[in-house]
Amino acid sequence: MVSRRRWHFLLQLAPLVAVALLWEALSAAGIVPENRLPPPTHVLGGFAELVTRGLPPGSHLLGHCAASLRRVLAGVAAALVVGIPLGLLMGRSTRLRTLVNPFVEILRPIPPLAWVPLAILWLGIGDSSAVFLIFLGAFFPILLNTVAGVLSIERGLVEAAVILGASKRDLFVKVLAPGALPATITGVRIAVGVGWMTLVAAEFTGVKSGYGLGYMIMTARDIQRADQIVAGMLVIGLIGFAMDALIRAAERRLLRWR
Amino acid sequence: MKRSVVLVSLSLFLLAAAAPAAAAGEKLRLGYLRSDLHHLAAWVGIEKGYFKDEGLEVETAGIFNAGAEEMSAFASKGIDVGYLGMAPSVTGVANHAASVKAEALANAEGSAIVVRADSPVRQVKELAGKTVAIPGYGNVQDFLLRRALEAAGLEAGAVKIIVIKPPEMITALESNQIDAFIAWEPHATKAVTKGVGRVLIPSSQIWKGHPCCVVAFEGSVAHDRPAVVQAFLRAHAKATAFILANTDEAVRIGVQYTGMDEKTVRMALGNISYRTELERAPVREYASYLGRLGYIKETDPDVIVRDYLDPAGLVKDARP
Amino acid sequence: MSVDLRVEGVEKRFHGAADGTGRVILGGVSFAAPAGGIVCVLGPSGCGKTTLLRIIAGLETPDRGRVAVGDRLVNGPMREIGYITQETTLLPWRTVLSNVELGLEFAGVPPEQRRATARRHLEFVELAGFDDYHPKQISGGMKQKVALARSLAVEPRVLLLDEPFAALDAQTRNALQEVLLHVLERTRTTVVFVTHNVDEAVFLGDIVVCMTAQPTRVGTSVEVRVPRPRDRTGPELNALRKELLAFLTEQRLASRPARGEPEPQLPGSAVASAEKPPEKARAR
Repeated sequence: MVSRRRWHFLLQLAPLVAVALLWEALSAAGIVPENRLPPPTHVLGGFAELVTRGLPPGSHLLGHCAASLRRVLAGVAAALVVGIPLGLLMGRSTRLRTLVNPFVEILRPIPPLAWVPLAILWLGIGDSSAVFLIFLGAFFPILLNTVAGVLSIERGLVEAAVILGASKRDLFVKVLAPGALPATITGVRIAVGVGWMTLVAAEFTGVKSGYGLGYMIMTARDIQRADQIVAGMLVIGLIGFAMDALIRAAERRLLRWR
Repeated sequence: MKRSVVLVSLSLFLLAAAAPAAAAGEKLRLGYLRSDLHHLAAWVGIEKGYFKDEGLEVETAGIFNAGAEEMSAFASKGIDVGYLGMAPSVTGVANHAASVKAEALANAEGSAIVVRADSPVRQVKELAGKTVAIPGYGNVQDFLLRRALEAAGLEAGAVKIIVIKPPEMITALESNQIDAFIAWEPHATKAVTKGVGRVLIPSSQIWKGHPCCVVAFEGSVAHDRPAVVQAFLRAHAKATAFILANTDEAVRIGVQYTGMDEKTVRMALGNISYRTELERAPVREYASYLGRLGYIKETDPDVIVRDYLDPAGLVKDARP
Repeated sequence: MSVDLRVEGVEKRFHGAADGTGRVILGGVSFAAPAGGIVCVLGPSGCGKTTLLRIIAGLETPDRGRVAVGDRLVNGPMREIGYITQETTLLPWRTVLSNVELGLEFAGVPPEQRRATARRHLEFVELAGFDDYHPKQISGGMKQKVALARSLAVEPRVLLLDEPFAALDAQTRNALQEVLLHVLERTRTTVVFVTHNVDEAVFLGDIVVCMTAQPTRVGTSVEVRVPRPRDRTGPELNALRKELLAFLTEQRLASRPARGEPEPQLPGSAVASAEKPPEKARAR
């Protein structure tokens, strides 16, 4: 007997499979020309080549994935290290909030990609500029969500802790940070999503090590292999999905008390 | 110089003889690459009214950053005729990305490997272990670099190859991110006039007379409107002849369309060979190179040549 | 008994009016609490009891007057003064045990010791065995027990409670009152317990301090010399209850607008003005 969980999972896969079959059929019938949108079979072939031969030839898919993931994780980590403490402090101090808010409000709407020329000018075309761009994209959701998280903590909780003898440090570490955690995690989810998208586009502009999923797709574009472009896109989408799922699982564990 | 003039006139004559008059006011959508001096003939044709003289209403429908982009425009039938690198157009045809027919050459040579002005590198051989930037994989420049390395006895892996857009290559060279780059004019000359770089070897020395950019038509246009194609090619030949005979004005038009300074354009012009006859052998060689490197799906070079070069016999076979 | 907590002439206004004047909430409150004794502060709703308690706790500052514990003035929150409110302030992400340990953690007590102390206090409030539950999983009454254990675990000199059982049903309330008394037997904690419930005040307090209507002052102060355990419905408590209720009613009437001034209207009640004070007759 198929377990409930597995059945649910299969049910979610079904529409994807149906669309893939339809797509294949439309392509085979010539309704969708292969050079506009390669059918799933071609895409799978392209994917196989990405894994075995690699694109550019010699640079394998796994290497590209690893390079991109490394950059995203570094950028998000940097955003956490700067964003969470600053967010906690800003949440607690109205004065600090008023001071920092103007900068945040002006910088936040600027899409990370608009920073590309400056990033390359300041940091060159290596990993640092990519990580910087991801940091920019990831920082604001983490900061703003953490601030909101602190503000959402009931005043009574903070007062009770102070009365029980909490030092400033105790307050931040044992009350504000855990209290803001649900909001912070939401911020992290958003940050990882934005960071991942920014990364791939940032890699379009060139990458020194020769590895990166955006770089790989750009190469596929240069040599006009639509099947590999689509295969690359799917890989990017799947990895993004996996990262989000991981965060959601971590969230469920960390916030069991809710 | 003289031989080119003769050849161009010959082609002109032959085309004129073979073609019926084109219908008046025929619309054509044109594409070319941004700031690519190789496409000067197109700009001259527009400025001097040569297309109009042939009864063509040529509208610039796209100015692209890369040949691959232009091929996408062909695929979606957004342009009818384009000036672009032979490399991306052959690649696209070999990968079934678009149906495109190359009818004439736009230029030959006109690229160079550039190192930093103070670099100790004097020969290609000394590039071993260094970082060299190319405009993109599968480009003519990619091919030229590999040929240069091969000729110097180096394997392709001896050099670290990365992809950077040509406008950013000079900054990258200046700030030491790369040790050398290979790009089309005027970027190579620009590095020199800016004092940042020095030409290590021009492409004419890597592969003498190598074809660079072509005039290509979207497949259905080539098939359905042969008279228009021929009219365009006549105008193109005239424009090419003009460039060869009127350097000063050619430079002026080049400055106008690239936005670069006159000194750079003039110098760059000297490195480009403007010719119109398209030969089968180099195309075949290029196609087999792509196949060897694994960039394309179709690996039989003759099939590619057949799909790519205009079958109407306008192509001259190179006879020794 | 020696006096442990002294409230002297505490005044407080509403701030917020631009000219610095605002309605007076506390118009000079003074009373004293004996060491180890329970003082119940009884007053009509809205008379500023919460404000008074927050001032004693150091969470707010009085406009005039002062509070002293022993020989130290209160000018900010102190570990020696515990404070429990009606709304539970348990940290929802910590277990019951971990919540009780909170103050001990802040004090730097080592883990083994804290755990033992916390467990002991949970036993005192009859919650042994609930160590690993989260606040979400326990009832309102249980939460207040945990709050009590948490406050007492750091052995404060003074414990302030602001209507802690007001949100609970009568049975639970009574049970918790008994738990409170039971726990306080072991300690010498001075307690100030604010309530608007007369039954609660006379059952718990050694002294019951009644507040007037605004501007609030101490109206009357009654000692409850009834030995514990007290009979809730016994004659002594009944007599006291009567006296205090009368005082409270008097305060309620006194806070109504004088004759001739418009009555405050309830929204939509056209009948209100028809109801003229027959109380004037009764007060005689």
